[in-house]
Amino acid sequence: MPVLKAEMVEPLTKTGASCRVDAAVAPRFRPGERILVRNINPVHHTRLPRYVRGRHGTVERDHGVFVFPDTSAHGQGHKPQHVYSVRFTGRELWGPQASERDVLYLDLWDDYMDPT
Amino acid sequence: MAHRDHNAPLSDTALRVKALEALLVEKGLVDPQALDAIIDTYEKKVGPHNGAKVVARAWTDPEYKRRLLDNATAAIAELSYTGVQGEDMVVVENTPEIHNMVVCTLCSCYPWPTLGLPPNWYKSAPYRSRAVIDPRGVLREFGVEVPDTTEVRVWDSNAELRYLVLPMRPDGTEGMSENELAALVTRDSMIGTGLAKTRSAGASTKRTRASGGQHERRA
Amino acid sequence: MNGAHDLGGMHGLGPINPEPNEPVFHEEWERRMFGLFIATFAGGHFNVDQFRHAIERMNPAHYLDSPYYEHWLNACETLLVEGGALSHKELNEHTSRLEKEAR
Repeated sequence: MPVLKAEMVEPLTKTGASCRVDAAVAPRFRPGERILVRNINPVHHTRLPRYVRGRHGTVERDHGVFVFPDTSAHGQGHKPQHVYSVRFTGRELWGPQASERDVLYLDLWDDYMDPT
Repeated sequence: MAHRDHNAPLSDTALRVKALEALLVEKGLVDPQALDAIIDTYEKKVGPHNGAKVVARAWTDPEYKRRLLDNATAAIAELSYTGVQGEDMVVVENTPEIHNMVVCTLCSCYPWPTLGLPPNWYKSAPYRSRAVIDPRGVLREFGVEVPDTTEVRVWDSNAELRYLVLPMRPDGTEGMSENELAALVTRDSMIGTGLAKTRSAGASTKRTRASGGQHERRA
Repeated sequence: MNGAHDLGGMHGLGPINPEPNEPVFHEEWERRMFGLFIATFAGGHFNVDQFRHAIERMNPAHYLDSPYYEHWLNACETLLVEGGALSHKELNEHTSRLEKEAR
C-alpha cells in the first residue's frame, strides 16, 4: 500500500479523486424526459434514498459518466454509467401538504430509473 | 459541544482514535507528518473564504458568472479552488424567483475546496431529515423567510456532484470592490440556509426576501 | 440498504440548532480522526463507497446517537480490520493500555 507523505498532501488534495469515468457509455435518458424511479430495496450500498423510490421525475441535465457506487462498494467494479440531475415536485414526493411551489433535485444513475 | 475540561479523562472514543493512530504509524501505514499536513490544510487553509471569492467574482464579472453557471468545475478552477470533494461542481443561482438550498440526506457531502469542512448541523439528523420535506420550515429556523411566490429548490447531493449556491448580491453594494463584496458572503448563504450580508454595520441576522431585492428586518 | 442513515423525510429528530462560530474540530480526537481517514483513503485501503457503506452498517441507534467523527472511527476500524491491516485484538489491547496509562 502506498503511504501518503507530507509533501504529497497539497498536490493530492488539490487534485482530488473524481469519480468521473472516461468511458463511451450511451445514456439511457435525455434532458426533458419523464422517468419513474425504480422501487429497489437492496440490502447492499446504494445512493438511492427511500423517499424518491417509485416517484416520477423529470431529467434536467446529464452530468456524464461516473462510477456506480452500488457495485463499487462491494468490489464488483465501476459499472460506469450516466448520472442525471432529476427534478421532483414537492407534492410528488410528500403529498398535498407540501408547498405547491417547491421542488427537489437528486442525482440519479441510469440503473436507478426507468422510462415512463 | 462545550469546552472540555482538560483534566477530565479521555473518553473511550478519544482513546480508540489514539490507539488507531499509534498502530497505523507503528505499522508504517500512515506518516505522522502527513497527518499534521492534512489537518493543517483543512483546519487553517481551506474554508468558506474561498467560495466567497468565487461569489464576489461572479457578482462583478458577468462573463465569469456565465462560465460559472455553465461549467462550475472549470470556472472555480480558474481561482484554484480545486480538489478533494470538489472535483465535480455545480453552481446554482439564487434569484428573486428561485431560492436554492443544499443538503446531503444520506451522509454529509459538501464542497470542501470552496466551503471547507461542513458544520455539525449540516451533517446531523435534524437538517438532513427536514431539508427535503420542510425546506421553508428549515429556512425559517435559520431566520430566512421566503415568499410563497419564490420557488424553493432543494439539492440533495447523493452522488459525487457538489453544489454551491450563488446567493443574490445585496442591494446597495454598487461600487464595492471584490474583496469588500467577498466579506458579505457567508458560508450559510452558499449552502442556501442564509443570505449574503448587507453592507450596513450591525445588520440584523434576520432577513426577508422580497421579489426584486432584499429587505432586512432590524432587530 | 434501508438503514438509519437514509434520513430524508424523517420526523421527530429535533431542531437544527446551528452553533454560532463553530470551530472546524471540537475535540483533538476529531482532528486526528479526520487526518487518519484522509491518510488511509489516500493509501488505498478502501474507496469512498466502501467507507460510506461501513458507516451505514453501524448499529442504527449508535449511528444516530454518536458524534459525527465517531462514524468515521467506526468505518475506518471496520474496513482496516476487514482488509487485514489491523485486528480488533490489537486495537482493543492498545486502547486498554492507553486507558491504564491515562489513569
